[in-house]
Amino acid sequence: MPREIITIQVGQCGNQIGMEFWKQLCLEHGIGKDGLLEDFATQGGDRKDVFFYQADDQHFIPRSLLIDLEPRVINGIQNSEYRNLYNHENIFVAEHGGGAGNNWASGYHQGEQVVDDIMDMVDREADGSDSLEGFVLCHSIAGGTGSGMGSYLLETLNDRYSKKLVQTYSVFPNQMETSDVVVQPYNSLLTLKRLTLNADCVVVLDNTALNRIAVERLHLSNPTFAQTNSLVSTVMSASTTTLRYPGYMNNDLVGLLASLIPTPRCHFLMTGYTPLTVERQVNMIRKTTVLDVMRRLLQTKNIMVSSYARTKEASQAKYISILNIIQGEVDPTQVHESLQRIRERKLVNFIDWAPASIQVALSRKSPYVQTTHRVSGLMLANHTSIRHLFSKCLGQYEKLRKKQAFLDNYRKFPMFADNDLSEFDESREIIESLVDEYKACESPDYIKWGMEQDTGEANVAAALDSKLVV
Amino acid sequence: MDPAPATPRWNLERPYLTGRFHQEAMAAAAAQAPGSKPFSLDSFSRGAGASTGSVIGSYAVSVQELLVIDDLLSALVGIEGRYISIKRVRGKEGYVVFQIDSSMDLALQELTRRIFPLCEDYVLVSQFVESRSHFKNGLVNHALAAALRAFLLDYQAMVAQLEHQFRLGRLSVQGLWFFCQRMMSSLNALAVLVEKATSNNTSGSATLNLLQSQAKVMGGDSAVRSLLEKMTEYASAAYLRMLERWVYEGVIDDPYGEFFIAENKSLQKESLTQDYDAKYWQQRYSLKEGIPSFLTNVAAMILTTGKYLNVMRECGHNVQVSLENSKLMSFGSNHQYLECIKSAYDFASGELLTLMKDKYDLIGKLRSLKRYLLLDQGDFLVHFMDIAREELMKKPEEISAEKLQSLLDIALRSTAAASDPTHEELICCVERSSLLKKLATLKDLDCACPADKLAAADVDQSMQLSITGLETFCLSNKVQWPLSLVISRKALTKYQLIFRLLFHCKHVSRQLCAAWQIQQVFRSVKILGTPILRSSILCRSMLKFVNSLLHYLTFEVLEPNWHLMHDRLQTARSIDEVIQIHDFFLQKCLKECLLLSPELLVKVEKLKALCLQYATSIQLLMPSIDVANSENTAKAGKSRSRTNKSQDRDQQLKLASENVVMSESILKFEAAFNSELQSLAPTLSNSSHAEPYLTHLAQCILGVRVDQ
Repeated sequence: MPREIITIQVGQCGNQIGMEFWKQLCLEHGIGKDGLLEDFATQGGDRKDVFFYQADDQHFIPRSLLIDLEPRVINGIQNSEYRNLYNHENIFVAEHGGGAGNNWASGYHQGEQVVDDIMDMVDREADGSDSLEGFVLCHSIAGGTGSGMGSYLLETLNDRYSKKLVQTYSVFPNQMETSDVVVQPYNSLLTLKRLTLNADCVVVLDNTALNRIAVERLHLSNPTFAQTNSLVSTVMSASTTTLRYPGYMNNDLVGLLASLIPTPRCHFLMTGYTPLTVERQVNMIRKTTVLDVMRRLLQTKNIMVSSYARTKEASQAKYISILNIIQGEVDPTQVHESLQRIRERKLVNFIDWAPASIQVALSRKSPYVQTTHRVSGLMLANHTSIRHLFSKCLGQYEKLRKKQAFLDNYRKFPMFADNDLSEFDESREIIESLVDEYKACESPDYIKWGMEQDTGEANVAAALDSKLVV
Repeated sequence: MDPAPATPRWNLERPYLTGRFHQEAMAAAAAQAPGSKPFSLDSFSRGAGASTGSVIGSYAVSVQELLVIDDLLSALVGIEGRYISIKRVRGKEGYVVFQIDSSMDLALQELTRRIFPLCEDYVLVSQFVESRSHFKNGLVNHALAAALRAFLLDYQAMVAQLEHQFRLGRLSVQGLWFFCQRMMSSLNALAVLVEKATSNNTSGSATLNLLQSQAKVMGGDSAVRSLLEKMTEYASAAYLRMLERWVYEGVIDDPYGEFFIAENKSLQKESLTQDYDAKYWQQRYSLKEGIPSFLTNVAAMILTTGKYLNVMRECGHNVQVSLENSKLMSFGSNHQYLECIKSAYDFASGELLTLMKDKYDLIGKLRSLKRYLLLDQGDFLVHFMDIAREELMKKPEEISAEKLQSLLDIALRSTAAASDPTHEELICCVERSSLLKKLATLKDLDCACPADKLAAADVDQSMQLSITGLETFCLSNKVQWPLSLVISRKALTKYQLIFRLLFHCKHVSRQLCAAWQIQQVFRSVKILGTPILRSSILCRSMLKFVNSLLHYLTFEVLEPNWHLMHDRLQTARSIDEVIQIHDFFLQKCLKECLLLSPELLVKVEKLKALCLQYATSIQLLMPSIDVANSENTAKAGKSRSRTNKSQDRDQQLKLASENVVMSESILKFEAAFNSELQSLAPTLSNSSHAEPYLTHLAQCILGVRVDQ
């Protein structure tokens, strides 16, 4: 079973979106709630083995680890109708069941304590696959477990499986409403550092935007977590369609990511999806040509990351890369025409320092899921405006840090013992440099960025400049 | 073809059986005794012969009349009488003239002479009948002879009746002349016909054509015309039976080589799957010279009808033609036969198409070719390239095809292809030469001029040394008869050419991805302003190039064209149409995949080679960092010192990112790649006016920059 992907869902949010993700995959592959293939699922041609493996009794078992420090969500899963789907050996709940108290440091510390158990599970799953391609981590960056323990796991995975890819689906907190987690800015900052340094790719799922979409686009006055999570699972499953329904290109994760991520740090992706629906919602049938889908994907209202940029900055924001995964019955001759139209109308503002264009992957749609729309599309984009999200995080952190608020909770743990807050400063520095790098991407001189200032490398820079005349 | 059976010798040796006695006997007589009387055949002639030697002029006119009627009745069936003699015409073989004793009453002589043409025609026709009944003359002539014989039988009956009247004493020469009138023109027309047939020594369709044209010439005389048409009908009966067997069964039943379709048995259907230039379909059955004029317009249709039926028979498929109203009876002016042929054609082509599509699943086969050779579902290839990496890195001569085959089987079984039964038909093969060289050897692809080939060869020489399985690996597919009609060796070769291009692009893309993944470790250090940044961006540009190329090849060339072909195949009505549509598809794909324009292909290959060199050097340079890194890890011990460890690593990375050797080679690659890519632009835009697909390619590869 080549190119397998192991999913690790950490914390309350991670497990919730993970569960939705697996539900969606089961639906799409015709796998029943107990892991057995449904009778109608005979068409074949799909790749279940990327995310599932088959037990001796033909059950399909997700390559998934369910990890939490408190039992509530996982108990919920274990009492749901999907309880027989998961491998029970892959479920880890902390014995004390007390959670991490929304404290990153607590989550991180506890992660350190139980890492051996968890890595045993990871190793077992990794040994069970032929040629492991990488890991997918689902978590939120605001709480305690998903952010803290998730961070520790990211570091460990990076260490132990340095040759494997690590992709995360990271839920960013809702900035619009006051959160019950007051230390959210701390947690976010510390997690962001790991996402920057230890992940190959981060798919940013911004709860602010998800809520906005639910309210504005789906007309739900008070969206529940289940509803926003179903948006997340749609995005997650759509972004893996090319792996599960192989086509001409993008049949492996590395190919998918390599084309989207230009430089090692600029690996934060935005997503957009159309048509947006949630379960049981009757959607009017719309005209869905490839052009319509692509155009809608570019509309900010369909993008699942809020833009915090001011107008002037927003106009300078540029796309570094775009991959549109289009599912359904598509006339392949339309693709070229649609790209052409988008180019002509200058709907996309691309970076200047390298050639860029919208990549399109056409993919089949699951034959087992009935939808009212013929074509659906997912956009994975690397856009420089994401830096404003990080700036926002930084700003909130600064506010809190200035007040020296809530730091005591952190000092209780070894990393911050003896009032050593260097971790915060280091994280801040890294996020700042990330923001700078994204900002640099907006400039046409990105390639030469920073070279002139660096005196130590004057000769090299000179050499570069002379060669550039060619 | 079996030689026609020989006519038994006794038939030739007995001139009285064949009616050749006139010529032979007279020739003999002339040779023996030139001066002797011409009546040497007396003994055979009627009458007592008592009054031999008496001159007819010595009798009374009434007696003369009786005598001459008696002689005439013999002459009418080609026998000399006492006063009527038969002479050969010098120089014209088989022609005879009748002469009458000149002492006879002049009025009688005159009347008698009027009847002579009938006699002469009879002799001519009956000779023809006899001679054409020989085996070697073929069925049409046999049939014509038989028809003529039947006609002559009528004629003889008339003569017999006249004789009866004569015996009753009711026949005068005038009466005889009167009664012969009716026969005169008919027999004459036949004689003219026979004369022409003899002089041209026609057989088969030529005879039929002659019959038809004669019938047309005689259009004014309705009786004669209908007679000739009847003759035509009889004569063509055998021919039509042949035609019938061909258009209803696909069998050539033609012992005398008269049919207008020839079979070349030396062309075997197996050649289709082996021989690149297989001519089976074009030349196994072909039209010959001499198509009957009434069939010229439909000859091609007849040929294909039989060919289709033949294919079905070769497949062991029993074809049941419904013969309700489709018996090929005649080819009269009502053109019913044309409709029969048309319906037979419709039936055969429809049946064969259904057979191909349903029983042999042509569309499924094409889909499977698309899936595996055009990489429509490329996940198996990812796995295959993973596991066959080492084997493919070897030189083509050292690669074990068996090993590759078993690796391929593993890859197929463990990916989405497992649920597709057709994957078992895939075969691995390793070619010896590079793609460019292979293209140069395939002359009939209407590739561009030889100057370009030279250029291609040039590049080859430098690349030949480093050629590995990755450049020459190729998939093939077992194609069974009758699908090999559509997917012949040649068609498959074209598929393979496209596959090799795609495969190599995939390889390049994978290598670049590997390089990308190696560089991902640099996310822990700041790379702004270091060569690593340039390298990352170069890597991205290269990836962009290769992926755009792949995107162009697949989504802009293969997929739309395949869909177009698929749609057209749904409406195709015959297998020839299918073959044509399929060939058109392949040719268009080859062209749009640049495989027919070496100039561009050479450039693309160069770019890919640069990408590969870059990816390889990154993969060579970077692992040194990893080694240093892992040593540190070992020293640093347990996870307690994680911070130290990562600091160490960062230090290493920092150093590596400032490595001068690397930065220089990266710059070199960057310059080479960019200049090569830019040089592609003018070439593309120059030729894009003539070939719109190049605009697509330019937009894909060079991106938005082109428009600006």
